[in-house]
Amino acid sequence: MSIRKKITSKPWLPMLIWIIGIILVWEIAATIVSVTKRTPENVLPHLYQIFGQIFSTKAVSSGKTATMLVLDSASKTLFRAAIGFITGTVLGFVLALIMKISKLAEKTIFPYLMLIQMVPILGMAPIILSITGDINTSRIVIAAILTFYPVATNTLAGFNAVEREKYDLMYSYAASKYTIYKKVLIPYSIPYFFTGLKISAPMAITASILVDTLQGDGGLGSMLSQSLKHAMSIYVFWLIVFFSAFIGIFSSYFMGFLEKAVLPHKRKTKIKRKDDAV
Amino acid sequence: MSDVMEKIKTEDRTVEIKIRDLGMTFKDNNGNDMKALTGVNLDIYKGEFISLLGPSGCGKTTLLRMIADLLEPTDGSIHIDGRIPKEVRLMQKFGIVFQSAVLFDWRTVRKNIELPLETMKFNKAEREQRSSEMLEMVGLTKFADHYPVQLSGGMQQRVNIARALAIRPEILLMDEPFSALDEFTKEKLHKDLLQIWRKTNKTIIFVTHNISEAVFLSDRVCVLSPHPGRLSAVVDIDLPRPRTLEMRETQHFNELVLKVRNSFEGGSL
Repeated sequence: MSIRKKITSKPWLPMLIWIIGIILVWEIAATIVSVTKRTPENVLPHLYQIFGQIFSTKAVSSGKTATMLVLDSASKTLFRAAIGFITGTVLGFVLALIMKISKLAEKTIFPYLMLIQMVPILGMAPIILSITGDINTSRIVIAAILTFYPVATNTLAGFNAVEREKYDLMYSYAASKYTIYKKVLIPYSIPYFFTGLKISAPMAITASILVDTLQGDGGLGSMLSQSLKHAMSIYVFWLIVFFSAFIGIFSSYFMGFLEKAVLPHKRKTKIKRKDDAV
Repeated sequence: MSDVMEKIKTEDRTVEIKIRDLGMTFKDNNGNDMKALTGVNLDIYKGEFISLLGPSGCGKTTLLRMIADLLEPTDGSIHIDGRIPKEVRLMQKFGIVFQSAVLFDWRTVRKNIELPLETMKFNKAEREQRSSEMLEMVGLTKFADHYPVQLSGGMQQRVNIARALAIRPEILLMDEPFSALDEFTKEKLHKDLLQIWRKTNKTIIFVTHNISEAVFLSDRVCVLSPHPGRLSAVVDIDLPRPRTLEMRETQHFNELVLKVRNSFEGGSL
């Protein structure tokens, strides 16, 4: 088997190569940094130093170990991100539905949706904060704002991708508009909806972390800025970076997993068209 | 051959679909009139297998869509047992089979077949009984719980046909249903379709651009010519029934193919 065939037949192989490659590059760089810089852990510590922190029992801040601290803040951040994400998802889906039902709504809403998306969240955050007057609420609102756009646009794309023949068929059954939405448009759009979720889940988490940094009150973001200011071990900073990356990637994969759980036909493999048997 | 002709003539020949001076004019991008179809007069008999044959642009699909009330004619009229197509559509008497199988990916084969029945508010027991019947008719009972992605092109097209028949339509409208399939699959489905037709006695209107397919399947072949789309001939196919694949090798079959080929106008073929 050629290398090309091996890679295309085993989807995990490129991922493994990437991981090994990144570890290699990281460690080479860390080794260089450790002999050239005075405080190498502030620039680029070795990976074992970072992951060693996970199992360290040494308290880094108010009697908590690094791992406890990260998990504690993560639960706060993730909770806000999740509420924002769910709100944004519902809003996004409903908005897509409204835009599909009414051309007028699509024409008046769609261009401005894009505009909201163009405002940087760091610029938006203080505005939302001053409107809501509460940092927690504004974190949720911002996560929701970032979520609803990919959900709305992808779901709408799904509605619009339904082939003409499907409408013709339903028309020939004398199906009502409601039936067409229920039996054709909405089920058809679900994979598109999940594409939106896969994009927006890590975005909601990123937004939540980013908005954390604006003000204290726990959360990965505030821990991140505190640890960077040397209020505690620098390894907490690195742990948070890795952990955030992990949950970001995980959240997206989790949406893919949910999709397969909800849609049984996505679990079936396509048959090869070559041996087309009747 | 004469007794075959007799048989066709003495069979029940009530006119079911009456098409008079039918025409369809589209507006093109520059706002100019474009005649897709003009001056079609045709009677289609009950229980008949009739083909609409022609090259692309001859208006055969347009004609089918007008009968199905998917398109409103700009000229002339269509009456089906005295009713306009819209009434017939609302009475759910059409079964439509498109070239692509138009299956619903998220539904199993059985659920695909049951979709029109759900739409028409059949209860669960009735739906299941009918879908089982249809699955058996198209030989897919074993695949009832498969999803469309797991089926071959030929199987998907059988599901498509089964779904169209599930509502027990009076008229089955087929728009190039087999043109995307390979020769072997096509021949098998030709045989199956003729068998189903014999069993169910539907009127079948079959759109195709394949001359020998049209001759093999039909009682009559309507030859349409393009620019503008018009009906240039109706050829009686007096091959005996049931049709067998061997008939395609006979001289008479070839004569009929030639006759159909020669009735195209414009000489583009």
